[in-house]
Amino acid sequence: MKIRKLLALSLVVLLVVGLMTGCGQKAQEPEESTPESQQQEPEEKRIKVGLVYDIGGRGDLSFNDSAYAGLKQAEQDFGLEVTDLEPSGGGEDREQLLRLLAEDGYDLIFGVGFMFTDHIAKVAEEFPDVKFGLIDGAVEDIDSSSNISCLLFKEHEGSFLVGAAAALRSESGKVGFIGGMKSPLIERFEYGYLAGAKYANPNIETFSDYVGTTGDAFKDPVKAKELALKQIKAGADVLYHASGASGIGMIEAATANEKLSIGVDSDQSLTATDEQKPFILTSMMKRVDNSVYETIKNFVEDKFEGGYRVFGLNDDGVGYAENEFNKDLISDIQPKLEELKDKVIKGEIEVPADKNEYEEFLKTLK
Amino acid sequence: MKKDYKILALKILAPFVAIILAAFISSLIILAIDKDPLQVFYTMFKFSFKRIDSIAMILFNATPLIFSALAVSIGFKMGLFNIGIEGQYLIGTFMAALVGFSIKGLPAVIHLPLVILAGIVGGMIWSFIPIFLKVKRGVHEVISTIMLNYVAYSLIHFLIADVFRDRQQSLVEGLGSVLVRTPKLAASAVIPKMHGFLAFFGVQLPKHVYLNWFFPISVVLAAGIYYLIMRTPFGYELRAVGHNPEASCIAGINQGRIYFKGFLLSGAVAGLVGLSDLLGYFRYMDMDFPRGYGFDGIAVALIAQNNPFGIIASAILFGFLKRGSEGIQALLKVPMDTIVILQSLMIIFIVVITKIINDYVKRLEKREVA
Repeated sequence: MKIRKLLALSLVVLLVVGLMTGCGQKAQEPEESTPESQQQEPEEKRIKVGLVYDIGGRGDLSFNDSAYAGLKQAEQDFGLEVTDLEPSGGGEDREQLLRLLAEDGYDLIFGVGFMFTDHIAKVAEEFPDVKFGLIDGAVEDIDSSSNISCLLFKEHEGSFLVGAAAALRSESGKVGFIGGMKSPLIERFEYGYLAGAKYANPNIETFSDYVGTTGDAFKDPVKAKELALKQIKAGADVLYHASGASGIGMIEAATANEKLSIGVDSDQSLTATDEQKPFILTSMMKRVDNSVYETIKNFVEDKFEGGYRVFGLNDDGVGYAENEFNKDLISDIQPKLEELKDKVIKGEIEVPADKNEYEEFLKTLK
Repeated sequence: MKKDYKILALKILAPFVAIILAAFISSLIILAIDKDPLQVFYTMFKFSFKRIDSIAMILFNATPLIFSALAVSIGFKMGLFNIGIEGQYLIGTFMAALVGFSIKGLPAVIHLPLVILAGIVGGMIWSFIPIFLKVKRGVHEVISTIMLNYVAYSLIHFLIADVFRDRQQSLVEGLGSVLVRTPKLAASAVIPKMHGFLAFFGVQLPKHVYLNWFFPISVVLAAGIYYLIMRTPFGYELRAVGHNPEASCIAGINQGRIYFKGFLLSGAVAGLVGLSDLLGYFRYMDMDFPRGYGFDGIAVALIAQNNPFGIIASAILFGFLKRGSEGIQALLKVPMDTIVILQSLMIIFIVVITKIINDYVKRLEKREVA
């Protein structure tokens, strides 16, 4: 009985203490607001850059991490104040976070991923003085005067080079592609790659498979592994994937059969296991980090432009990876790859981005 | 008489004591990541309650949770654990979206109720399967509803990504990616916001607030369910089955029928969970439509001990935790993972402390009787 009373008493005491601290907090309020108003006119204003990831956020070894790398580099080089946020729930959270950053006086705000398309369009309209960067998505009907810059990538150009690398390295004369979710985005990877392989060796035989038709296709390594094994059985000895986390399954299958694989988005040699490293020919790099960095650089130099900014081979927005692990694998074909890269940049080769363009492209080869 | 006041005071104090204790433990975690706990909590409260848009957002956040918790509580009242709200609301939301985008040219007074009805029917369909299996074949509802959640996830995915995907979206410069979503809903299917109504009372909400009429609907529904369960013969039978199935059976209550009716009602309410987001905010259903309201609803209902009015309060608490965490993330750069820990601690403490205090109150009441 006494213990219970004691417990009740101690709870009351805790509550009173809590209330007092609460009141104490309130008393501080006017003081709190003074520094805020002073912040309005600092001697030298630091540029504030914010970045909102998609769900999952940092640690994906690919897309989001790449954006973060670009932000960090810019922070170092330009002395910015940066923030990176991660939404918790559904889409309304994404929009709220963008809006809060804009309200908080951020000058340039990035949304990482095409899921942000509608949300950035809304928030950008509310805050015409704040600039926005949207990665992989396109808000319709905007021009260079807009405060939104859509950062888009010519994934097919980078895929063209790794396709050529695959064909040059292949001994069986057969190469394979594994896509994640079947969609126009992933088809760009596919047809760029197939075109590159055919260009380097018109007699090459190609295989294409997709893991699925839903978003889950990007996280199904088991299915990707099965598809890879099927292609290897059919004779393919170099495999490329554009299937996010599913691709790990393909790399496993290739390594187990001592076949070569090609990574995607970031340099996958660096994150592969020691056992897999010797079998990763290269990776198709989608330089989200460069695009973020460049947008920030332009903003700092007061050259920010709205509209659509397309990253291709010419500005290293896409490319192939070279590192200490794949040096021996690609050093002898590198001159050829550089030559092709040159041709694409000069416009001598038009890399196809979909099925129709690919069929047209094949006709030009003959 | 005196004791009554004491009991009431204790009951009201319980959540506050819980919040303070949770805040104390959370402070240690905030200290560990090198932030000032006082500043974090101060910002959280100031951001949440000193801005009119925050208050409206809290109510907007609470709306789906009120529906979800009400659906859970109906199950609990009759002794069934409907853990399948998650699947039921996703199916309901999809059905509503389907009626919303496929029918065009209807006036809003007909279209909107039709869309809402479709949501309700969707929730009922998905709750019919487990209760049918339960009553006819004795399959435990926990197993079947959990499994049906997974079926619903995949089915929705298939329907949105393949069957009803909006293929009219254009790719600018042939690059980037389109959203995997249904076509946009007709304007006549959109639920009006509360801006006009509140402006009448002098409250001016900013344009970006999505608070809509589903919030008052959820409150009215809570009152309706309270009345149904506490004041009608059906509610009495439902509670009797929940308290003691065997005894109620002997007393002549048709247990199977009560289960059927109650569970379908639960599913119908669940069908409303996603509609505030669908009809008031997104206006399309995409692959990424908010998940997890079904599970949060269980926590909300447990905290409120299945009392419909308590559910409103605890859903608002959840809404506050979400809104407040957006504030401290954006303004103070507290990482998302820390915020999740804070939220979970708050919930655990509230559950534990209210339990302790309620037990204490019960003992007090018993002594009073004695």
